[in-house]
Amino acid sequence: MPPRASKRKSAPPNSSSVTSSDGRSVSNKAKTKGMDKIDRLFNTYANSSLGVIDPEGIEALCSDLGVDYTDVRILMLAWKLKAEKQGYFTQDEWQTGLKALGVDSLTKLKKALPELEKEVEEPSNYEDFYIYAFQYCLTEEKQKSVDIESICELLNLVLGVQFRPQVDSLVEYLKVQNDYKVINADQWINFLRFCKEQISFPDLENYDATQAWPLILDNFVEWMREKQS
Amino acid sequence: MSNQKKRNFQIEAFKHRVVVDPKYAEKTWKILEHAIHEIYNHNASGLSFEELYRNAYNMVLHKFGEKLYSGLVTTMTAHLKEISKSIEAAQGDLFLEELNRKWNDHNKALQMIRDILMYMDRTYIPNSRKTPVYELGLNLWRDNIIHSGKIQSRLLSTLLELVHRERTGEVIDRGLMRNTIKMLMDLGSSVYQDDFEKPFLEVSAEFYKVESQKFIECCDCGDYLKKAEIRLNEEIERIAHYLDVKSEAKITNVVEKEMIANHMTRLVHMENSGLVNMLLDDKYEDLGRMYNLFKRVPNGLSMIRDVMTSHLRETGKQLVTDAESSKDPVEFVQRLLDERDKYDKIICQAFSNAKTFQNALNSSFEYFINLNSRSPEFISLFVDDKLRKGLKGVSEEDVEIILDKVMMLFRYLQEKDVFEKYYKQHLAKRLLSGKTVSDDAERSLIVKLKTECGYQFTSKLEGMFTDMKTSQDTMQGFYANHPELAEGPTLVVQVLTTGSWPTQPTITCNLPTEMAALCEKFRSHYLGTHTGRRLSWQTNMGTADIKATFGKGQKHELNVSTYQMCVLMLFNNADRLSYKEIEQATEIPASDLKRCLQSMACVKGKNVLRKEPMSKDIGTDDAFFVNDKFTSKFYKVKIGTVVAQKESEPEKLETRQRVEEDRKPQIEAAIVRIMKSRRVLDHNNVIAEVTKQLQSRFLANPTEIKKRIESLIEREFLERDSDDRKLYRYLA
Repeated sequence: MPPRASKRKSAPPNSSSVTSSDGRSVSNKAKTKGMDKIDRLFNTYANSSLGVIDPEGIEALCSDLGVDYTDVRILMLAWKLKAEKQGYFTQDEWQTGLKALGVDSLTKLKKALPELEKEVEEPSNYEDFYIYAFQYCLTEEKQKSVDIESICELLNLVLGVQFRPQVDSLVEYLKVQNDYKVINADQWINFLRFCKEQISFPDLENYDATQAWPLILDNFVEWMREKQS
Repeated sequence: MSNQKKRNFQIEAFKHRVVVDPKYAEKTWKILEHAIHEIYNHNASGLSFEELYRNAYNMVLHKFGEKLYSGLVTTMTAHLKEISKSIEAAQGDLFLEELNRKWNDHNKALQMIRDILMYMDRTYIPNSRKTPVYELGLNLWRDNIIHSGKIQSRLLSTLLELVHRERTGEVIDRGLMRNTIKMLMDLGSSVYQDDFEKPFLEVSAEFYKVESQKFIECCDCGDYLKKAEIRLNEEIERIAHYLDVKSEAKITNVVEKEMIANHMTRLVHMENSGLVNMLLDDKYEDLGRMYNLFKRVPNGLSMIRDVMTSHLRETGKQLVTDAESSKDPVEFVQRLLDERDKYDKIICQAFSNAKTFQNALNSSFEYFINLNSRSPEFISLFVDDKLRKGLKGVSEEDVEIILDKVMMLFRYLQEKDVFEKYYKQHLAKRLLSGKTVSDDAERSLIVKLKTECGYQFTSKLEGMFTDMKTSQDTMQGFYANHPELAEGPTLVVQVLTTGSWPTQPTITCNLPTEMAALCEKFRSHYLGTHTGRRLSWQTNMGTADIKATFGKGQKHELNVSTYQMCVLMLFNNADRLSYKEIEQATEIPASDLKRCLQSMACVKGKNVLRKEPMSKDIGTDDAFFVNDKFTSKFYKVKIGTVVAQKESEPEKLETRQRVEEDRKPQIEAAIVRIMKSRRVLDHNNVIAEVTKQLQSRFLANPTEIKKRIESLIEREFLERDSDDRKLYRYLA
């Protein structure tokens, strides 16, 4: 048989694997064995006709992991897998991700979750994860912004633990205001900076509106100040 | 044979005869001493100058300079002590006279003595570093007379007494004063200063302190300043007459400090007569005096300027925010111009046209003119009024003057783009109704605006003028090509280029058949020569002149709007028409139609139509008839109104919205321009640069600029720097 074309040029999600002339993964025995386990795990959840894990599969995976579908740890997992499309894991992403985690079974994966949390919370990774969380929500092609409601949920999920008071106020404000119906990437990243830069909360004394904060945060601070007076 | 004696030759030095007369010095001195006595006793005429000179010369030559000098000192001192007694003995006013007389005597004596002792002056004295004779004489005078216990204080108090008398109005002997003062000056500047000037200044300060307090209690500001000026001039004159010129600056300082600086604030703010009152009443002379006096003291002028500025801002603010004056835009602007003229005149006449005052005037106007957001609209309406009728019959130079003054107000506006929008609207109406008083005046103003704001500001306005001219040519061409139409109604079409004129929505309107046909002919004629263009009739902007005959045969020519014409023509074919029928036939939108009917049926003097019922409002069930009883003393009756008017609230909002919309792309263009050249720039500098760039059109709002920046970030023209959140980067 002539060698098959190894790379297919279609839109994600799509399965692609490097194959040799006989159609088997080329690696040493142990690796192959490990990869096999990962692949088998993949196939447990994958939608066989699509060749990817779809939302149903992810839900099943969550239930097996004992984690809620909306838990932030799933988002972290997606980040680790560098998953491109929300609700789907491709085989590639699965393989790379699980290898990076150093797991090849469900139990191992479950155990790896707390470590994953710590990894994400490392300062060098956190911003990356935060930005990823936003991009993960851009489901349509050419979509640049995310609607307010989703943003509120996302803020809760991603920043809620570390910055509870800020997130609560911000979410309240976003729901009340009507200048903006969607939030773009620039505004999103500045929410994080706002929390990180230790703007004293809730008095917001050291917030300087003449600096380059996005207008939405200027308005938020004004709203907060008015509320307190 | 000779006896040869050896003789020793000795060459000896030549010795002149030494007179070793021990009494020689004493004798010679006695001669000289006697001479000094005689000189002081006014008996110098019997003396031989030559002999005395020789004697002195010899003494010095024979090394008796020391004796001579000390003898001189002793003798002179003794005489001066005598003189001192006689001066002390003088009574009252004679004291000064005696002093002067003795001083003159002493001077004369001193000169003679110096001449006699000139050899000593030139040889012994420099060698032994002693004080030269003349100076010695002055010092001795000083020490024995001027600084003598009994004379010193008496002299000072006498001099000060005289000055005081003169200040209180008495006449004194100025010559005597002058001589006395000159004496002190001759004795050395420190003598003059210590023995006279210092105390003089102190006493003067006290005097003026008291006097200024007295004046300020009883005088009003203007009078006080007059008195202060008089006193100042007096002192200057006093210096010129009998004091050292170097004292002038010092004494004027005293007067300035005591009379002006110390009371500056109270004077300026004096009730009913202070600076503000002077400004209100145009008291040029008083203001000028205040300016000149205050100029002399530190912060004097800045105080005047500050008070003037705050007063001006206050009155200006009231002027522009007063609801009454806002009712009539022309009045509003006229009052601003009048106010400016008033202060211009004050600054010119009283404040010597000082630049700092001009600047204060300008900044004040800039401040309050922009407090009223309708100022741009009103200024345009003012210009409109002038160009329609106000400038009728006014000479060319006067027209220029008025326009220049308007330009001054224009310069103060922060929102020049708002002015532009209104000006365009008003100009359009003027041009289209042919109601401009002077084409030259119109163009002159455009040129001024161009000079002020650049070509872009006026290019569209100029386009409007061009369109008018071109339309004239087009109409000529049309009628030349269609001579058969000369008999029918005369059509005048103005073809407006869309970009140059204010945007108007195209509204439906059914023209009467005669007109419709004519318009079609024009359209095909025009498009025949201008392919590729599109014409749309602006029925809401046209006018018509129609001849009407009423019930009793009275004929009138009516000048109406196009809408009104459409409605009236219907009555050629019907006596009675309901609102609905009119609406159907003309297809004019309801609000415009109602206004149109109202203007013809409900306005006294223009009611060519009759309405049933006779209410003021137009109801949809109303019926209309031609008003057969219509009368007017004029043959030509104007009913249509296309005059520029102050906008109604909703119109104002709409215009403002459009202005805001227009600003957005301008802000964005400015941001992109700046970022493109700078590549990386921090937030505050972006705001500053953008504001500066747009200054000539409007004052950019930092929040709005921020919004535009964010929009540009979203569209990936800019990005935030990854490390420094305050920086923006240009994305090529």
